[in-house]
Amino acid sequence: MAYTSALTIRYLKTIGIVNNGSNGRGFANPYDVAFGADDEIFVLNRCDPARRSGIRVGVCNIDEEYLYEFGYGFGDGEGQMTLPVAMAFDSEGRLLVTDEHTNRINIYSKKGDVIGKWGVKGDLEGEFHGPAGIAVDSQGLVYVSDQRNHRIQKYTSEGEFLSQWGTKGANEAEFNLPWGIGVDTSDNIYVADWRNDRVQIFDSSGQYIQAIGDFGEGQETLNRPSGVSVDKKGNIYVTDWGNERLQVYDSSGQFISSMRGEATLSEWAKEFFESNQDEMETRGISNLNPDIPDHLNTPYHISSQTESYFWGPVSVRIDSNNRLYVVESNRHRIQIYQIG
Amino acid sequence: MSENVSIMAHLMRRAGFGATRNELEVCLDDGYEYTVEKLLNPGESNHMPDDIIRRYHVDQSELRQLDGAGSYWLYRMLTTNNPLEEKLALFWHGLFATGYAKLNQARALLNQIDMFRQYGFGSFRELLIELSKDPAMILWLDNNENHKEAINENYGRELLELFSMGIGNYSEEDIKECAKAFTGWTLGNAEYMSVRASKDSIWPYGRIAWHYEYRADDHDGSEKKFLGKEGNFNGEDIVDIIVAQEATANFLSTRLFQYFASDEVDADGEFVISEMMQAYFESGYKVSAVLRSLFNSDYFKSEKCMYSRVKGPVESVVGTARLAGTYQEPTLDVHSLWAQTMFMGQGLLAPPTVEGWHEGVEWIDSGSLVERINFAAKELSDPTKEGVKDIIHRVTAAQKDLSDSEKLVDSCLDFMGPIQVEADTREGLIQFAESQGVVRTEEGYPDQSGSTQIARLIGMIASTREYQLA
Amino acid sequence: MGNKAKSLVVVQLSGGNDYLNTIVPYGDDEYYDFRKTIHIEQEKVLPIDKVYGFSPHMAPIKRLYDEGKVAVINGIGYDNPNRSHFRSMDIWHTAQPDEIGTEGWLGRVIRDLDPNAENVLTGVNFGRGLPRALGVRGVPVASVGNLETYGLFPDIKDESAKKLALDAFAHMYGGVQGKDPVLNFLGQTGMDALKGADVLRTAPQKYSSSIEYAANPIAQSMKSIAQVLLADFGTRVFYTQHGSFDTHSGEIVTHAKLWDEVSGAVGDFYDDMREHGSEEEVVVMIFSEFGRRIKDNGSGTDHGSGGVAFLIGGNVKGGMYGQYPSIKEADQLEGDLHFNNDFRSTYSTIVDKWFGLDPVPIVNGQFEQFDLVNA
Repeated sequence: MAYTSALTIRYLKTIGIVNNGSNGRGFANPYDVAFGADDEIFVLNRCDPARRSGIRVGVCNIDEEYLYEFGYGFGDGEGQMTLPVAMAFDSEGRLLVTDEHTNRINIYSKKGDVIGKWGVKGDLEGEFHGPAGIAVDSQGLVYVSDQRNHRIQKYTSEGEFLSQWGTKGANEAEFNLPWGIGVDTSDNIYVADWRNDRVQIFDSSGQYIQAIGDFGEGQETLNRPSGVSVDKKGNIYVTDWGNERLQVYDSSGQFISSMRGEATLSEWAKEFFESNQDEMETRGISNLNPDIPDHLNTPYHISSQTESYFWGPVSVRIDSNNRLYVVESNRHRIQIYQIG
Repeated sequence: MSENVSIMAHLMRRAGFGATRNELEVCLDDGYEYTVEKLLNPGESNHMPDDIIRRYHVDQSELRQLDGAGSYWLYRMLTTNNPLEEKLALFWHGLFATGYAKLNQARALLNQIDMFRQYGFGSFRELLIELSKDPAMILWLDNNENHKEAINENYGRELLELFSMGIGNYSEEDIKECAKAFTGWTLGNAEYMSVRASKDSIWPYGRIAWHYEYRADDHDGSEKKFLGKEGNFNGEDIVDIIVAQEATANFLSTRLFQYFASDEVDADGEFVISEMMQAYFESGYKVSAVLRSLFNSDYFKSEKCMYSRVKGPVESVVGTARLAGTYQEPTLDVHSLWAQTMFMGQGLLAPPTVEGWHEGVEWIDSGSLVERINFAAKELSDPTKEGVKDIIHRVTAAQKDLSDSEKLVDSCLDFMGPIQVEADTREGLIQFAESQGVVRTEEGYPDQSGSTQIARLIGMIASTREYQLA
Repeated sequence: MGNKAKSLVVVQLSGGNDYLNTIVPYGDDEYYDFRKTIHIEQEKVLPIDKVYGFSPHMAPIKRLYDEGKVAVINGIGYDNPNRSHFRSMDIWHTAQPDEIGTEGWLGRVIRDLDPNAENVLTGVNFGRGLPRALGVRGVPVASVGNLETYGLFPDIKDESAKKLALDAFAHMYGGVQGKDPVLNFLGQTGMDALKGADVLRTAPQKYSSSIEYAANPIAQSMKSIAQVLLADFGTRVFYTQHGSFDTHSGEIVTHAKLWDEVSGAVGDFYDDMREHGSEEEVVVMIFSEFGRRIKDNGSGTDHGSGGVAFLIGGNVKGGMYGQYPSIKEADQLEGDLHFNNDFRSTYSTIVDKWFGLDPVPIVNGQFEQFDLVNA
């Protein structure tokens, strides 16, 4: 639990279990979450090559009921996805999903019907080269981080190009392979400027406001941030992908805290152990927070050996109930925290 | 000059995965011995960055399964500027063959490969100690079941037989004493990890990677007799005794010779091996010293040594892709590249048994040969690939007259290697070049269809018997 | 037609087929107690008797069963069952449960059928790479990804360009033998590959049938097997696989689809053989590396032991063989069905009774055989 006078972040629960197939309950390299109007949790499964035929969006709720799923297979056909990265609901309640390989945004209804798509490969206005993060502001306008064009593009909800900013570089308002995008209540845009190890903040017209973080493994720094979200009070949450942790900053960009994760068994995990007692027994006599030998003393290796820690945190999002969701691609689960 | 090119190309085929002509020119400027030193002292290597790979490939970030882990290692081989580091790691992987099938732990296998990179050039003593502490090896050869009260000899036996001395140089009693000395050398949470491994379990949240743990209370601290020496030996002491043996020097030198120089050992080879053994002892068991002695020997640089090895599948796939200049950026295709090595009979991180792969001509059967040829021919007959373009450019610059099929063939053979071929092969290639018709040029350069023709000829050269040899 | 050589088609169900939802103990209440979510409803089962029945997605195999052409081998497995895919599959492939084996049992069958390796097509695998079951040093086996394009240079689409390439290849590989034994060996191997491919590729042209196989991979593989078998190249052992049966999640949907595909393909294959009067010359064996846990996990089932295999053919004496293991808690093996017959009994039956070979060196030991094929 992290505290400041103004902010508490309390661990609630973990949802998920690794899904080894092409359908059904569980997640396969989840990459992002989005929240439906009725508190459904939409989870984007990027899937590894062995499971690519099952590339899909799974829908569950906070009570861990697995409700339904939709997907149209791997590829660039109608409704299909190849390397999906992020998603967001637009102002019409349609789900927009970016795909960094097909260079387009797929549009689905919340039930999974294919509504449309936009985007072509290129570096002209409105075109994409590796679209990654996506966010929708209070006006219904859509922001996409155009990864390999190192810029942010802004569209209407119909995919009509409005404006763009940024170019490759490490100076103010320049980007290096940007990833996640967040929006605050004033429609300011927060970009996880991945390979520049910082989050950059702009107003909705693309005017630079400030940057947070610089490279490193120190407490306040960032190493390849993947996702960013802002709560109602303006506190900023960043999945610090390269350091396998969650960084929290206040609205002025002052560092507040750093979290390594505290996952517990989901209901689905518990059901697994009920029918696999032999594993539960040996698990019971194990130390799941072991001391790691020096040569493996990196955040990545520590997370690979410590099940409760974040591993491959690729996105952080906040729902309307002020719950914070950290999506872990390598652990196929979502850790949920209550912001208070 | 051309003899130098041949010898340098030979060195790079053996100590690496072959070299493009651009790379060879840099080596030639440096000179042979300097290049050998560079290879033997790699320092920090340059290769496709981890963060770039991990962001693109979820499977290579998680490294849960064999395909992702194999692809990840292939990227390293494909993009490294220190090819010997990877070639040597592949050697150790074949010698200390640890396989996925029993472990179901790709991350632990890659950690083992990292260990080979770190210790592979240095003292054989350190390497064997690290090997004995390697969690993948511990589970692979059941040392987690080797207890003070109940010895499991598996690791002790293979350490002597397959990893250091070879059969006939120790007794069954030595094996038992050796195994005793390694009791208590296990991995963290051994019970749980062993159940998960045996069930191939990834539940609930993917795999949990492994680390070494020494359990002093499970170590047999009694007096031991090993290879004529007596003492209260622990594993390190056993390794000290092993590495000082003549048999170990011979075993290691011979295996390195067969991997880097020639599948067959003749009398000249025996002489080189005796020099390698000398280097082993003089350097304090340093692997780099043994290799230096080999690479700088007259035998290694002789005609006889060239093309005397059948390329292994991984070597062949990586060499071809490096020549074509492909896979330098993350691509989904890397997964099928990995699958290719499986089809050809060498699944990285999945050797069939602790004895590793059967090498030499045993790599070849009709199925694996077809896979090799089809892969190499496809990869290299594409004129849009950077490496192929470069060969076409060089051929064009060297041959004013592209209509002369003989010269065209010889020139392609030169810039692809140089590759030496039999008369029949050369005739077949010339016949092929002629059957395609005259290469048309525009302002001295082949036009699009001309480039395609030359590229197809390059693909045909990659289909020859000689291309299967290193 | 009657004097054709006997052949075997092995269909591997990769990933661990759920025995309990394949041959369903629908008359046993405990099945529904352990399988609260992942079960097949009583009224949907295709009954064999009052207790057991086929999954509703196996209608074509059930039809053959009713004709007496399907042997169901219940409770198949081996001692100290391994629940890891790779290792357990290795055990089935090498017939060596106790140590890591190097030779495949079917590779040995092929070697004994064709000791001088005179026919490079005695064993044919449909799929890329070589399953370990077929791997024995010195035993050539063709691995066919796609019958139409099988062989050298499949990536050259232009037919005339491909012909030039193949001509050049024959020149380079088929020349006079030189003094270098390695180059000679490569030359010989290359020419073998060239010839084998030339022969195999003619199979589709020789074939005609009224059977329309489905478009899924296993149906297409079975069609290819029918084409090669009927083309009479002397192929005796065919191998293919389908999957993934690793149904930890969403099992109901996945398992149903997989069995629809497998049983459809096998049913069509049998009908195809019958249409060509060859159903008595072929046996199809279906197996998987292990069964699955008795208790479900809420969405699927996890790795278990104790499985089921099938032998199907005109000369198979249909029926239930082996014992269907009890699912009572007290009879379970670490939460799994307890196997009661070693898989090498089935292998021995095939090797001895079907092929007339000595099974002992092939399956690494003497095992009791079933009386289930007409010799």
